[in-house]
Amino acid sequence: MAMVVDYKHDSSFPYWTSIRRRFAPDSPFFSSGNIERELLAKQVALDLTEDERNQLEKMIDNDARGIFCPIVGCDARLTLLEDFEDHYNARHTASCSVCSRVYPTSRLLSIHVSEAHDSFFQAKVARGYAMYECLVEGCDLKFKNYKGRQQHLVDKHKFPTSFEFFKKAHPSKKQRLKNQRKRAVNKKDEEASSKMEVENEMMEGLVSAVSKLSTSDSSPSTVSFGRRNARGLTFVPRSVQPPLQKK
Amino acid sequence: MADDSPASHRRDPIKSSVGNVAAQRRRQNAVTVGKERRESLVRAKRLCRVGPSGDGDVPGEENDMVTDEEGFLLDAQTSSAVEDLKSAIAYQGKGAMQKRVNALRELRRLLSKSEFPPVEAALKAGAIPLLVQCLSFGSPDEQLLEAAWCLTNIAAGKPEETKALLPALPLLISHLGEKSSLPVAEQCAWALGNVAGEGEELRNVLLSQGALPPLARMMLPNKGSTVRTAAWALSNLIKGPDPKAATELIKVDVLLDAILRHLRKSDEELATEVAWVVVYLSALSNFATGVLVKSDAILLLVERLATSNSLQLLIPVLRSLGNLVAGDSHTTSTVLIPGHEITDGVIKVLVKCLKSDHRVLKKEASWVLSNIAAGSIEHKRLIYSSEAVPLLLRLLSTAPFDIRKEVAYVLGNLCVTPTGGDGKPNLIEEHLVSLVQRGCLSGFIDLVRSADIEAARVGLQFMELVLRGMPNGDGPKLVEQEDGIDAMERYQFHENEDLRNMANGLVDKYFGENYGIDE
Repeated sequence: MAMVVDYKHDSSFPYWTSIRRRFAPDSPFFSSGNIERELLAKQVALDLTEDERNQLEKMIDNDARGIFCPIVGCDARLTLLEDFEDHYNARHTASCSVCSRVYPTSRLLSIHVSEAHDSFFQAKVARGYAMYECLVEGCDLKFKNYKGRQQHLVDKHKFPTSFEFFKKAHPSKKQRLKNQRKRAVNKKDEEASSKMEVENEMMEGLVSAVSKLSTSDSSPSTVSFGRRNARGLTFVPRSVQPPLQKK
Repeated sequence: MADDSPASHRRDPIKSSVGNVAAQRRRQNAVTVGKERRESLVRAKRLCRVGPSGDGDVPGEENDMVTDEEGFLLDAQTSSAVEDLKSAIAYQGKGAMQKRVNALRELRRLLSKSEFPPVEAALKAGAIPLLVQCLSFGSPDEQLLEAAWCLTNIAAGKPEETKALLPALPLLISHLGEKSSLPVAEQCAWALGNVAGEGEELRNVLLSQGALPPLARMMLPNKGSTVRTAAWALSNLIKGPDPKAATELIKVDVLLDAILRHLRKSDEELATEVAWVVVYLSALSNFATGVLVKSDAILLLVERLATSNSLQLLIPVLRSLGNLVAGDSHTTSTVLIPGHEITDGVIKVLVKCLKSDHRVLKKEASWVLSNIAAGSIEHKRLIYSSEAVPLLLRLLSTAPFDIRKEVAYVLGNLCVTPTGGDGKPNLIEEHLVSLVQRGCLSGFIDLVRSADIEAARVGLQFMELVLRGMPNGDGPKLVEQEDGIDAMERYQFHENEDLRNMANGLVDKYFGENYGIDE
């Protein structure tokens, strides 16, 4: 592969730098051209059907690349790079029926549902039970609060400090303004914030649904089948659901 | 060389129709291309079905159709042909030479009949030592030719079969000399080309036995199939990965002249093989690249790209140009100066390749453009205002993945200033705004969605340019419209830490709590 040296600025994002890229003659980059050379020289190109050609290319591509699904914990082998989208939509879009958040495995989804939408869960937390499970399958440790689990993920399992299991949703513009006002008015402390978020989530969902019934303007123009599209509720009456297009 | 001219058909009409039926039958039975056939198709080795003087069976469907029964028969016949050869060599009496040649010819025919010659049977029967004996000095030309032909086809198959030629190599090399007749030299070059095509180990053996100089000399004449075969064999010999052979080759006296002469004037078949030599020279040897850049090579490559429509020729010519641009900063800074005629010529032929139907040409032309776009601001302006950009934008949304990735590099390179001494690149706002307005963002976000690490990285880097560089803070809104946030949020659970950090960093910075408040 070509060596791309990126300039890392203060925030350590590797910005785009325009540099020349050089490849060795046996680089996978050149393999389709090399195959073409041999096929043409052996006069076989005329003989092969479209299918046979595709197979040949795949054979070389895959031997060189061997693409696997890059989602943590997924062992799926992708025969074609193009298969990834379908695979992702089929296996990694377990979505929450309450808030539409999407998770790559059903286990993580069920953890989310307990932590974000289950008042029984919150009740046990309030009584001091260790309810927050480690996200890594097989680890089995449990923690008394979200931050404790977060720290464990960073310390033991090398998760990045920027990782947030319960990431804030991206609400519609109306919602954002509402939330800003709400936060300015209500001064809740840190400990109750997670509980607050659960309630906010439900509020957001209801308000969003109501706003959807009246107008349908803030949804993105292109929507993908199977992925989270609404900024709140999935149970939106058919008549106001935006059209689902497969990307 | 494989038969390039369909004109030499020597089959009568009845045989032809049988051939068609056989072909149909084959297609019906073999739904998929078998693994063995696939491997044999893409090998850098070539079977010799037709001799230098035109004799031999024309490759045809009925010849290729070898059933299991026929295979057993072929093996048996081959074993007995080797036995015949053994006794012919032992025979000392009258007509010994003719006996030997006849035995060799019979073996050669058996080894040339089908796509999968009975090599294993020949080796088992002990063909190699006999063939080596037939290569001894002073042997008549016909004998040398037939023996070399047999060895050629034995070496065209599996690795262990090719390696079996080791004892024959010194003799094959010595018959490349100028005292040998042309057909003999050519057939020996072919055999050696197959050996070189096997792998690095055998290449090193050939190089240490001195195969390079005589093969190089065979490229000096103006034309002929011998020149073509020698060029092909050389391209296999110098393909490395050690650059030593490539450097040695370019240093051979008057070889550069010969290469340029062939690129300039020779017919397309010959120019094709010479172009592949240039491919390996320019990919491996910095010294060779320097020499080529200073010569007329680039001009000649551009000329070929402009005038030819043969995919076979265009691929190595384009790649040679690409290697020369990629391998040496002098190419863009001293030869391809914006405003000079040669530079316009290069852009023009690259555009021609972008317009072609062929995947390889589109992909590699984009790669070359991306490297030119990595040059000075003037280079970027030149490409930006050329015919290339509308084509690239269309390819970004419609082409197969590997082409889209290269196109992304071109477009992104157009949007940032050259990487200067202090290492911090700035945006070229005019280009960025225009390209985004013409709809390129969704193509980059598609790359972010792919499973390919490099493509995702490229996509995220471009998204950062958009988020940072679009005026009036329009970036985040545009990204959101194209489902960019969705695409980045996928990376929360991605196994690649760098990508996770990149995506999370962008989301946190541009789509945090205060996103959209000031509207």
